[in-house]
Amino acid sequence: MRIHLTRQPIALSLWLLTVLFSQVARAQTAPLAAAPAGPAVSFEKRCYSCHNIGSGNKKGPDLNGVTDRRTRDWLHEYIETPAAFYRKGDPTAVELFKKFAPEVMPDQALTTEEIDAILNMIQALTRKGEVYVPPGAKLARVMGLTDVYAGWRLFTGRDKLQNGGAACISCHTLASAGRLGGGTLGPDLTTANIKYRNPELISILQNPNFPTMSSVFAAHPLSDEEIVKLFALFDHHRRQNPTAQAGATTYDFKFPLLGAITLIGAVVGMNWIWKNRHRGVREEIVRRSRI
Amino acid sequence: MDVRLQMAMVFHLDKCIGCHTCSVACKNVWTDRKGAEYMWWNNVETKPGTGYPTAWEDQQKYHGGWEQKNSQPDLRMGRRELRVLNIFHNPHLPKLDDYYEPWTYKYEDLFDSPEGADQPTARPISMITGNYVDIEAGPNWDDDLGGSPVYAANDPNLDSLTEEERAQVFEIDRLVFFYLPRICNHCINPACVAACPSGAIYKRGEDGIVLINQEKCRGWRMCVTACPYKKSYYNWSTGKSEKCILCFPRLETGQAPACFHSCVGRIRYLGGLLYDADRLLDTLHVPDDKLVESQREMILDPRDPQVREGALRNGIDARALEACERSPVYRYVKQWKMALPLHPEFRTLPMLFYVPPLLPVMAKSEDGLYDTANAELFSPIEKARLPMKYMASLFAGGNQELVRYALKKQYAVRMFKRLDTVGDVDAAAIKRGLEQLNMTGAEAEQIFRLTALPLFDERFVIPSSHREQALAMLNEDMWAEKGGAGFGFRAAPVRGA
Repeated sequence: MRIHLTRQPIALSLWLLTVLFSQVARAQTAPLAAAPAGPAVSFEKRCYSCHNIGSGNKKGPDLNGVTDRRTRDWLHEYIETPAAFYRKGDPTAVELFKKFAPEVMPDQALTTEEIDAILNMIQALTRKGEVYVPPGAKLARVMGLTDVYAGWRLFTGRDKLQNGGAACISCHTLASAGRLGGGTLGPDLTTANIKYRNPELISILQNPNFPTMSSVFAAHPLSDEEIVKLFALFDHHRRQNPTAQAGATTYDFKFPLLGAITLIGAVVGMNWIWKNRHRGVREEIVRRSRI
Repeated sequence: MDVRLQMAMVFHLDKCIGCHTCSVACKNVWTDRKGAEYMWWNNVETKPGTGYPTAWEDQQKYHGGWEQKNSQPDLRMGRRELRVLNIFHNPHLPKLDDYYEPWTYKYEDLFDSPEGADQPTARPISMITGNYVDIEAGPNWDDDLGGSPVYAANDPNLDSLTEEERAQVFEIDRLVFFYLPRICNHCINPACVAACPSGAIYKRGEDGIVLINQEKCRGWRMCVTACPYKKSYYNWSTGKSEKCILCFPRLETGQAPACFHSCVGRIRYLGGLLYDADRLLDTLHVPDDKLVESQREMILDPRDPQVREGALRNGIDARALEACERSPVYRYVKQWKMALPLHPEFRTLPMLFYVPPLLPVMAKSEDGLYDTANAELFSPIEKARLPMKYMASLFAGGNQELVRYALKKQYAVRMFKRLDTVGDVDAAAIKRGLEQLNMTGAEAEQIFRLTALPLFDERFVIPSSHREQALAMLNEDMWAEKGGAGFGFRAAPVRGA
């Protein structure tokens, strides 16, 4: 059947809405092309979520001395297209992928010059024996007493994020997230500030560069004020239980249990309410007549 | 005035011999398929009896049809919200057991059994599961296979009788039965159409045939509950509901439907009726016992110039109008007032009418003589073995006068012709009888002709079909079916499609 847009007001308005929203989306993604300045800044924005220089492995390996371990050509090719490099069967790449599974380093949209500048910085830090300190990973102000509660309100979606990002609870859970917990797509964030040290965590809040997070928050970054509040929340959870095992997730049975109880209740209830549906007319007549 | 054309039917029960040829003809043409084994779009019931499915007339159990609470009729199965709540668990559906489990016999055992001391037998097996079954009910159990104390005694129409009258009906001397063939009534106010949540059921504009679109049907089975006549059936194989289509492919080519064509008693009449759709709500806004007359009011005279003009304005073809003028149904229903709808109190305005049967009379049994002598012309009507109340419950919403009139008229015609051919009756009494019924000798002659000696073309006056005009009315592509012939689905109906 042909659909005539002019004869079908609903189809027409849906089509108009689609066009309108695609324009809005395009307008929003446009300003992202702005380039960062300096290798320390671009390392912070692009790499620091997963890599340290001199202070240990995170999601990815510590890059201290990496310029001595590998050749520049290898590093360039690896940084630009890590997954493709791994599929090519390079033995070093295979070993790295295996060690840090299931993390897969995303392809980096950095120019050759930017990569070189970052590598030079790594080399310089290695030579001097220094540890990389992110230049921007600081809170905009000192945390206050009310920030923990404000952060909890943001986390649970009671207050909206200023730039329209999804509330943390959509994908993450937290010890204080509520009886039914939060989403299970991302990790439990109760121990976020134990897994990541302060500057690392602040940097992640500023530039969440993990594959899933970046696609969600690139267009909707957290504001400085929100970062303070959320950090205060994670900081609070660390203080509550400083010895918690980082990354240990406790599986919450409450939600599936509630689901199972509801299902059983619904089945039993439906069978009770509609219990007459199997009542036969003929059977009844025959039974009555035989008495 | 909104004039519509409707294919309408009359079944002359006084002529029905209960041979089931109609049922078999229909079964062979339409329901000899997987999933349709249990369906009888045409079935013949024995009355008194519970029929098929068991006690279908008992709407306390099945919740079919309409009830009139105020000026608007409401479906007895409940308001829309309630129907949605019941959509997965419809509590008022007949079970397969209420129809019957269709069976055949394992005939191959007669040939393949090893040699033994016993004769091999063909045991009954279910046509659904293939397992051996004990046959407990059938589509015409009342008639074929016995069980009258169980089934006949539970006929819902007997509820209108007193205990004494009930007992009399089953006395050995006055046992009586008659046959009631049933197909879809193609009602003017079909409850099945109103109940369908998928919008799959529709009443065809050009001839009022009620059809289920197999592509739209989602098998909710609301129509099965809603139809008070239980003439919509669920096909468990395709997951769709099906019903009598009045053999519309045959009608469109000028042939009578299979059950009409095959009827050996020639009890069936088919023709067009014109009715005024504007009068629908007024027609229904009357008590049960006035429904037959109010439905007759709704039927229009095709010779009335105003009606003709309205019909032409509504796109009804002039040749179809000419066929309506010759319609035998119009004569039986409106002109002669002899044909009555089945259970008008279901308020669907059925378009299948029945001429009630003349039954054997009560008589005195004295000294081994069975005395049926009558003092008056119409006394056999009053002395019929089934009380008039019973007939009125079946055909007139409780209005005994209408049934009495129809029966008297039949009897008067019979006696009028007896005077003509045998001459052993009192001519003056017959003249008085005709006057009493407001009937002329010419009319009696006409009734006799159409009842006893009708030609094929007099029984079936099928208005020539104009599918192309109907399609044009619906703004559909009228060339799409050019060159098309026969019938069938573009794709076989399947679950979930």
